[in-house]
Amino acid sequence: MDTLMLFRLLLDVNARAARRRIASLRQQSLLMVSVIALFIVGYSISGYFLFSLGFKHLASIPGLGVLLADRMLYLFFAFLFVMLVFSNMIIGYSSLFKSQETAWMLTLPVRPTDVFRWKLAETTVLASWAFLFLSAPLMLAYGVARHVSGWFYLKVFVLFLPFTVIPAALGSLVILLVARYMHRRLFKWTLFGLGIGAILIVVFGLKPMQVAELQQAQMIAAMNQLLHNSNITVQPLLPSSWLASSMIAWGENWTSRGLFYFAVLLSNALMATLVCVTASSRWFYEGWSRNHSQGNLLLGVPLLDSNITLPRMGLLDSLVRMLPGLDSSSRALVIKDVRTFWRDTSQWSQFVIFFGLLGLYVLNLRNVTYDWSNEYWATFVSFLNVGASSMTLATLTTRFVFPQFSLEGKRLWIIGMGPWGLKRVLLEKFWLSSIGAMSITVALTLTSSAMLKVPAWLTLLFTATVVLMSLALCGIAVGIGALFPNFGNGSTANRRDDNPAKIVSGFGGTLCFLVSLVYIVIVIGTEALPMYSQFTDGGLAREARPLPMVTAWLFVSLVSLVATIVPMTLALRHVEKLEM
Amino acid sequence: MIRTEHLTKRYGSLTAVNDLNLEIAQGEFFAFLGPNAAGKTTTIKLLTGLLKPTVGRALICGFDIQQNPVEARKLISYVPDLPFLYDKLEPMEFMLFVGQLYGMERSVVLRAADELFELFDLNGNRTQLIEDLSHGTRQRVVIASALLHNPRVIIIDEPMIGLDPRSARVVKDVLKARSRAGTTVFLSTHILHIAEELADRVGILNRGKLIAVGSIDELRKASGQGGALEDAFLMLTREAQQAGTLVES
Repeated sequence: MDTLMLFRLLLDVNARAARRRIASLRQQSLLMVSVIALFIVGYSISGYFLFSLGFKHLASIPGLGVLLADRMLYLFFAFLFVMLVFSNMIIGYSSLFKSQETAWMLTLPVRPTDVFRWKLAETTVLASWAFLFLSAPLMLAYGVARHVSGWFYLKVFVLFLPFTVIPAALGSLVILLVARYMHRRLFKWTLFGLGIGAILIVVFGLKPMQVAELQQAQMIAAMNQLLHNSNITVQPLLPSSWLASSMIAWGENWTSRGLFYFAVLLSNALMATLVCVTASSRWFYEGWSRNHSQGNLLLGVPLLDSNITLPRMGLLDSLVRMLPGLDSSSRALVIKDVRTFWRDTSQWSQFVIFFGLLGLYVLNLRNVTYDWSNEYWATFVSFLNVGASSMTLATLTTRFVFPQFSLEGKRLWIIGMGPWGLKRVLLEKFWLSSIGAMSITVALTLTSSAMLKVPAWLTLLFTATVVLMSLALCGIAVGIGALFPNFGNGSTANRRDDNPAKIVSGFGGTLCFLVSLVYIVIVIGTEALPMYSQFTDGGLAREARPLPMVTAWLFVSLVSLVATIVPMTLALRHVEKLEM
Repeated sequence: MIRTEHLTKRYGSLTAVNDLNLEIAQGEFFAFLGPNAAGKTTTIKLLTGLLKPTVGRALICGFDIQQNPVEARKLISYVPDLPFLYDKLEPMEFMLFVGQLYGMERSVVLRAADELFELFDLNGNRTQLIEDLSHGTRQRVVIASALLHNPRVIIIDEPMIGLDPRSARVVKDVLKARSRAGTTVFLSTHILHIAEELADRVGILNRGKLIAVGSIDELRKASGQGGALEDAFLMLTREAQQAGTLVES
């Protein structure tokens, strides 16, 4: 069967399935459809509004406005490019080497390279559509700020197509290489090593922040510094810079320049695809077979080899035994959850990426050349910090904690029939995830506060806030995860619940993320408000006026308590009535 | 139809399939037996080309599955123990898709699918989505789709799991009839009475080694057990186990 015929058949099947999925929305609850619609509309409007404000503000800076707005595009697309490479790697690995469909297709009379081509196309779409959706308000805001015609948006859409192909081809090449030449276990340890390396860089690379000598009057110098720091994003070898250059050129009606960069993008996208497909003819089937034929690998490093059998050594048991107030059944549940996570490499890679990005963020704080002697900036950035940490935490709890109950789908009978019951299981998941989340967020908050030289009382306030937020976000994730579990339906119940990423992509996952976001906005808003009025009144954060802050914190505590208790109580009631 | 030459597969230090030499003729119904982790599924994956052998080769109708995978797969149908189906399709849509993947004309697929639906009692499920079908019905859809292009070799892994007695009977009858009509059937199973009932020849794999191959009577004789296949199987695998332990010690 030739490639085009195969693609036509697969397209037909997938289009039919997609139509049925959309049609089935009508049978879903009104609440679910409303939540999804609210998210799409809410994000589009608020995103456009915020980006427009940003561009407006930049335009007001005399002489540098246009330059800064353009640089923002370069920065944004550079970030998008990196994210797309990672996203393609994660989705591509599951799609090429873990998917049941791929295994099935490899038994059909089609060439493995054709299977790879189809999966590459599928991965590109799956990995890119969300990023394109997220960047749409930015494009619109940029276009409006530049007073472009309607054609501009069509041109930008066409520009995006080759742009998304390059990271997809790059990501797939990396995956092919890893699958062909790297043992799964070695890959896990490499990721682990990279994670540890990132943490070490953060820990030992930290130096107390030097208060910058820049003053408001030196705004131009600050902007110069900003342009200098983001120079890497305009490197002419970066695909993101071709996209940004072409877009800027279209915006300015410089047709030939726009066309030139489009041609650069297109030719590189075609070349990257050619290289990737050619490599797949050598490495895809070999890699697939190798990936499914790997035995135990001894790395020859006693520490690493013994650590692979860490849970059997009883170290984990001993650690869990040290936790106070746990009876044997709770200990068994904790050990099971930790072991399951430890052994699931696909979960690890995403976990490491999250923390790699967070580490980079914290590391970069000291490079931000704002006026640190100005209390307003220091406090503003520390709030931004708590916001960023909690947003990341919300992503983490949605991605890793929310699916926990659904993942028990197949095993629910064994846990549910045990003497401890499902309520205990739910509480165990809540406490385990909360402790994990707290250890991360508290460490991050203390580190960033130390870097920003935030006053002790404010550090205490932030730390107490992230503790409350960790509890609340885990309560929301565990609670909604149990209230809207994704066990699949009918005969699919025993097959669909093994992929956490798929569980998250359902209604419950969306609801969990939205509720978490609303909660974060309320908390940060409540705490920032008294601080903001303090500044507008001419006061300084270091001259503590704690009463309004303490009142705000008490309100935050109340909201957090409600956010923790309500979903957990509803979930506990729900699982009590759950039929297995 | 199926030939393996020194077929060997190693997973790191573990040898899952060890120097397997097998020849299965056209129209033969071959049952592949063995205890858990004997290497049966690995052998099937090697025969279908899902895995690359460490040593040796597998030939399907004369085509080396590694050298000519597309040609060999045109002649095979493989039904794994956990088959893949598109949940959002209806059974007939799935049949059409599979038939066209094997290069069949739409009208030919529809005609063949009608017959198979009748045979497997699937007419009542035509307009249901696959995700709404029971496990047994899904299994019947998978087996029906595997027979659609009249394969010359059927490789099937534990087909009876989840089937009710009536469906199991239908599957057994259809497979036997296909075998009589000249299709080679390679069936891997734990259920010994199915092998006893259907197989022309039985192969027993233990720790990756083919420890016995022959007709049911030949295996009974080889084991020195006169009774059911179960007794012969237990005796032969026990002997192999003991021999293996002796070698290891």
